[in-house]
Amino acid sequence: MFALTKADSMHAIASESLSKVYQSSLSKRNGITALEDFSITIQQGEIFGLLGPNGAGKTTFIKILLSLVHPTSGSASILGTPLPDVNIKRRIGYLPENHRFPGYLTGDQVLDFFGRLAGVPRREIRSRSKPLLDLVGMGQWSSTKVRKYSKGMMQRLGLAQALVNDPDVIFLDEPTDGVDPVGRKEIRDILTDLKRRGKTIFLNSHLLSEVELISDRVAILDKGKLLKIGTVDELTSQESEYTIGITGTLPEGFHLEADALLLKLKAHDGSLIADLKTTAAINQLIDLLRKHGVEITSITQKRNSLEDSFISLLKGEKSQ
Amino acid sequence: MKVFVLVSYTFGELVSKATIIVLAGISTLIILGTALAFSSSETDEGVTLLMFGQKVSPPLPLEEVHGFVGGVQVGLSKGMFAGIILFGIFATAGLIPETLQRGTADLYLSKPIARWELLLGRSVGAVVVMLANILYFIGMLWFVFGIKTGVWNLQFLLAGLTLTFAFACLFSIVALLGVLFRNAAIPIIGSFLYLVIVGGILHQREQTLYLISENGIYRAILDGLYYLFPQISGMQDEIAKQILQQSIDWKPFLQSFLSASLMFMGGAAVLGRRDF
Repeated sequence: MFALTKADSMHAIASESLSKVYQSSLSKRNGITALEDFSITIQQGEIFGLLGPNGAGKTTFIKILLSLVHPTSGSASILGTPLPDVNIKRRIGYLPENHRFPGYLTGDQVLDFFGRLAGVPRREIRSRSKPLLDLVGMGQWSSTKVRKYSKGMMQRLGLAQALVNDPDVIFLDEPTDGVDPVGRKEIRDILTDLKRRGKTIFLNSHLLSEVELISDRVAILDKGKLLKIGTVDELTSQESEYTIGITGTLPEGFHLEADALLLKLKAHDGSLIADLKTTAAINQLIDLLRKHGVEITSITQKRNSLEDSFISLLKGEKSQ
Repeated sequence: MKVFVLVSYTFGELVSKATIIVLAGISTLIILGTALAFSSSETDEGVTLLMFGQKVSPPLPLEEVHGFVGGVQVGLSKGMFAGIILFGIFATAGLIPETLQRGTADLYLSKPIARWELLLGRSVGAVVVMLANILYFIGMLWFVFGIKTGVWNLQFLLAGLTLTFAFACLFSIVALLGVLFRNAAIPIIGSFLYLVIVGGILHQREQTLYLISENGIYRAILDGLYYLFPQISGMQDEIAKQILQQSIDWKPFLQSFLSASLMFMGGAAVLGRRDF
């Protein structure tokens, strides 16, 4: 086991060389590696998205942090407290994937039950329940038994349950699963508001477009290994390709001069698509266009969606 | 505190289940049946007990009426073992496996609650529900017998507590099997087999299994198994003595308490090592 350093106490979540191998019950040799040497730090107040295909190890990582799964090796901490630690869970909220609330409880009772298990005094739960259920759009269903809820309603209630103890760190595993587009937008707004209030949000989701919209940083995980980590901008920008909007047509001789400067250009529907690796190359192209009296209307760096980056990363991993 | 929350919600969960409602319904029918069927008439010669208006005893002095009613109460308590306890196991066996299902265990264990507390809270919740049922059943029967025969046998009322203790000991097997196999079927089958067959045979081992071999190791294994599990049959015999106001041997209760504690600790240890 590795010891976490003092600096980790500043992080909301820190893991060092965390590994998990699920042993087969029949054979101790043929284990399944769910997480391999996974080190990560997440700052307080950050929305962090963990992406990966099915079986990548995303849920395993969350479950290790919540002491639902025992790591094979490595260490982790939450808010500076080395894990496992039962008491730190007072400051954690968790919405599991495919959660199941007791069907005989109403929405109100679910919050009361899990709030009390989280150590929140009943008086506080009573004062928080209504605003929380209203926040997730479940106010009018608070007295209805959970067994009558739809999947989307269960997700909304699950989110309220994760927030009932006013946690500092919130883990959400597929929070918008089964939620309609309007509901997804509402959940995104709630998460953004929580971030504004200084909460740390750890998000597991298959919906990359959503993660892209709200996450400060994302990590891509495959077969238990961390492939890439960074801000959404860092993961989605493709530095060398620019689209330059121009008016009019390019004069004769322009392409010859561009070729002489080793500029790779392609004219496309009133604009130029240029592969420019350096700032000098960008300036050379701008100078050349001005020299030929071509008016520049825009310069845009080509950007991949997070989904494009995700797929290309995974493809790259597979081809290796 | 959190264990108390689990106990109170487990109580609510079980009360909402049809099996417990049916159990309470059956208890009510037996109570009403006893109230309608049983009566007594007092003459100078003594007290005559009647069943559906027919004499079931000659005129008896009051002390003999106590013995007669005690015998009926013993019969009812034994019937309760076969009926209410088995029904109770059937109703509560799913509690722990359901708690340990994916999606449910995650919710519980993400809260600041130790795994053994979760097991304890659910187990105590099951026992409290059975205590309420048994006290309702025995309490009402005690009242009916008191009104109808004038026999207010306090030991019969107290037998409700010892019966519940026996159920709690049996439930420790249910809890251990529930943790090990995470389904309701095996705990039900296992506890039924133990209650109906294995426990009884082990209790009577000296008259039965000992006859197979005189080998010391064989007999030591039988003794070991007997003391490893809660001694339900032994407790059942002592409860009968309690109702008849005879002196009780508390040894089976103490040994069952130790055995049930061991079963519970075993369950907690397995639960503590499990990944969810």
